[in-house]
Amino acid sequence: MSPQHSSQPGLYLHIPFCSAVCPYCDFAVMHAAEAKRKRFVEHLLAEVALAAGAWRDPRPFDTVYFGGGTPSLLPPEDLGRVLDACRRHLTLASPAPWVYLEANPEDVTPDACAAWRRLGVRTLSLGVQSFSDDVLRFLGRRHTGNQARAAVEVAHAAGFDTVSVDLIFGLPGETPEAWRRELATAVALSPGHLSCYQLTIHPRTRFGVGAARGELTELPDADQAELFDLTHRFLGEAGWPAYEVSNFAKSPDHESRHNRKYWDHTPYLGLGPSAHSFAVGDASVRPRGAGDTGAAVGARRWWNEARIPRWERRVAAGERPVEGEELLGPQALATETLMLGLRTTAGVDLDDFAARYGLDLLATNDALVASLVADGRMVLRNGPEGRRLLPTSLGLAVADGLAATFDVSLPS
Amino acid sequence: MDHIRNFCIIAHIDHGKSTLADRLIQRCGAVEARDFRDQILDSMDLERERGITIKANSVTLPYTASDGRTYELNLIDTPGHVDFSHEVRRSLMSCEGALLVIDASQGVEAQTVANLYLAMEFNLQVVPVINKIDLPSADVDRVMEEIDRDLALDPFEAIQVSAKLGTGIDDLLEAIVAKLPPPDGDPEKPLRALLFDAQYDAYRGAVLLVRLLDGTLRAGTRVRLMHAGAEHKVEEVGYQRLKRVPASELSAGEVGYVLAGIKTLSGLAVGDTLTEAERPAAEPVPGYREAKPVVFSSIYPMETNDYGDLTKALEKLKLNDTSLIYEKDSSAALGFGFRCGFLGLLHLDVIQERLEREYDLSLILSAPSVRYRVVLDGGSEIYIDNPTFYPDPASIKEVFEPYIKATIMTPERYLGTVMELCRERRGVDTTFSYLAAGRMEVTSQIPLAEVLFDFYDRLKSLTQGYGSFDYEILDYRLGDTVKVDILVNSEKVDALSQLVHRESARPRALKYCERLAKTIPRQQFKIAIQGAIGGQIIARTTINPYRKDVTAKCYGGDITRKRKLLEKQKEGKKKMKMVGSVEIPQAAFVAVLRTEDDEDEG
Repeated sequence: MSPQHSSQPGLYLHIPFCSAVCPYCDFAVMHAAEAKRKRFVEHLLAEVALAAGAWRDPRPFDTVYFGGGTPSLLPPEDLGRVLDACRRHLTLASPAPWVYLEANPEDVTPDACAAWRRLGVRTLSLGVQSFSDDVLRFLGRRHTGNQARAAVEVAHAAGFDTVSVDLIFGLPGETPEAWRRELATAVALSPGHLSCYQLTIHPRTRFGVGAARGELTELPDADQAELFDLTHRFLGEAGWPAYEVSNFAKSPDHESRHNRKYWDHTPYLGLGPSAHSFAVGDASVRPRGAGDTGAAVGARRWWNEARIPRWERRVAAGERPVEGEELLGPQALATETLMLGLRTTAGVDLDDFAARYGLDLLATNDALVASLVADGRMVLRNGPEGRRLLPTSLGLAVADGLAATFDVSLPS
Repeated sequence: MDHIRNFCIIAHIDHGKSTLADRLIQRCGAVEARDFRDQILDSMDLERERGITIKANSVTLPYTASDGRTYELNLIDTPGHVDFSHEVRRSLMSCEGALLVIDASQGVEAQTVANLYLAMEFNLQVVPVINKIDLPSADVDRVMEEIDRDLALDPFEAIQVSAKLGTGIDDLLEAIVAKLPPPDGDPEKPLRALLFDAQYDAYRGAVLLVRLLDGTLRAGTRVRLMHAGAEHKVEEVGYQRLKRVPASELSAGEVGYVLAGIKTLSGLAVGDTLTEAERPAAEPVPGYREAKPVVFSSIYPMETNDYGDLTKALEKLKLNDTSLIYEKDSSAALGFGFRCGFLGLLHLDVIQERLEREYDLSLILSAPSVRYRVVLDGGSEIYIDNPTFYPDPASIKEVFEPYIKATIMTPERYLGTVMELCRERRGVDTTFSYLAAGRMEVTSQIPLAEVLFDFYDRLKSLTQGYGSFDYEILDYRLGDTVKVDILVNSEKVDALSQLVHRESARPRALKYCERLAKTIPRQQFKIAIQGAIGGQIIARTTINPYRKDVTAKCYGGDITRKRKLLEKQKEGKKKMKMVGSVEIPQAAFVAVLRTEDDEDEG
């Protein structure tokens, strides 16, 4: 199994600050003055200690992901203090976990990169979004296209294992030509990894309000589909094949080890406002397994307070700032396994699925699979490593709908 | 007996029959003003709303005439639609006279003529009544002319009224007394009572409405239903005012009700004759005919788990409507339901609406079908009204289908389009005649199957609402019938199969395919929708798969939200009907199976 498929847990740290809140963003973020940032860091350090007491998985964390928000807004010393706290209270992989850092292009300087490298950052994920100044202005970003290009080059020069570029597509009025230019620019910079996210207009954002007022028109579905196809075709041909709906890598070792954990039910611990955590089959889960009949599968997912003041208040009170939790029985896990598997090119391991959940997906969905295969949405592979159901790029485009179509009802 | 008048009101739909009845009832004081509710005889909500009488009712009115004598006026209500002509006949048989209502602005219509003929068939004395004279568009002179020419009645005998305002009602009551004959009959002879209606009372069971031709009837008498053969002991007799008023006896010529502890209506057939078990009459009242369903459709609940409710609702409806017949049916796509037989399209409509309104059910009805007579190769004959049971075409020698005689009245300027409509619907022996200046009567012999599919609506729209339509069943004639199946990704959707004339097969199949293509949402794969006769594809449409639906990203570790969305989506899908792997929303069945035409036909 490749390192991307490690079963060791991952650690996520949410840094909720932005220099400006983007009009499409629905994450837990806020503007932050220096003093607030300091206070946040103190609370995060405290949460690390609190969380450690409740985390039962003895295996070392082999990934640490600073996400946000804009983690690059935190001075490297603060990032270092957080990492030190993690090392002290939790078990991190030795010699070192793979550290990810999300950064805004305007924060990427040779000095900053050198500092991040010293902290152990191996993947620098750049929130480029676009190389076009007009688009960047529309998106409310603070950097320019030139700054974005420069940031990728600086990051390359600094020697990160993987430089990742985030792009957004499907903006109102975006043409295939314009999007192709963005992709071509990105590919010319040769990042190891690319994430191409489709703009989603969430209701409680400035874009959402604009759309509701009719000031902003979402790109029609057919056009979005065309851009999605274009993305997969263009990047596939250029040498960055998709490995997930929105994620593309120049080679398998550039694929995200951390995000992979979200998709295949590997445990993860999330700290900071709104962060989610997931633990499998630990002793604290099984007895309360929500009607599970002692089956070997059972998991828990919990999430932190999303509102920063509440999160801080609870941490300050010495409580874990957990807002809610969910116990997952075999049915929920089976549903997720299919839902998440269908979003990756690795697809769903049918034999593993059958062994885990006692359901042969092929047997209960034979007519569906046959028509999906006939239409080129899926491929059924029966190789030495077992039976797999893989979405094609046509299938990836409708992965959510596919998941809803399959009958995943476990035998009672 | 000469103080009794038994009469009915007959009219074309909407000419104001029920309002007139209300006014007569009110004038005779049979009901307190505060109890008065418009259109009392039309007791069902649906009847009041649609302005048609579905179920005949009747009432006895005491009336003191200008000669100082008090008369017993028995107003026998009649259903206002051709589908119920069987019941109309029973009602007419109970009367000596009829008020023929004609709308002062609409004039004589198809049913006016048909009703007059019916009344004459039963030797009723007819008094024409021109109603709605208060309308600005009323044209009494023209209507009088039509009465003379089209009905061959004396227009100067016609009473002019406005049932709405009460104008002319006194004249009308006097005319009923003066012009309609009293009943005859011999109270001493053996009992002969015509059962012309039966209602269901939750406490007393069946309430039989009867007209006594001979003899007398009182509580304690043992009666026999001459056709059904059943015997019952009479518990109570009386007059049907707005409430039942018990009486010591009913005698020849009178109209009243009979309670005999009969639990259900199912053994009662309108038209049957009650006689005394001890001293039976030699012959029943002639003209008894069983009500035969001519239109068939399968009814399924939208939600498969409403099947139990549907079962109960049909049982209850059946209590009051002996002409409704049904048996269990099931469909792979729609689950369990009932195959029902109806007296006609309106009857079907009425039952559907009552089920939906009174029992709060959402229903899917399969395409209505007639009953075909199929002669098999060996010479044996079977009747088929359900496409599911249609035999292998290879084993069929010939198929016969029922024909009707359609009578259409239309302003002259639409004659061409109406004739064309008849031709389109395979009408033969189409003839026309002038009724009055500018008005035509078209008659045509048309297969009943052809009027089931949006005929009436087309007629209405082609004649801008002026055309009227009436029909009677004629006979079975040789046809060229085929079974059309609808396939969704090669899976037959059994509920959409239908029997049609070969020439209509392709357009009908195409219409179904197109409607399905419009209403089935795009899915993950291409969906082929085909119409087929046996193995031969005669129509085809395709629904392309949708191309993109993933949201951009699984945000961090928040998989829960994503799964919840998915579960919600799946919940929605449960309400879909599955045909193979294709999800078909119920709305698609509803859209496909509606009989009206729409603009998409082009």
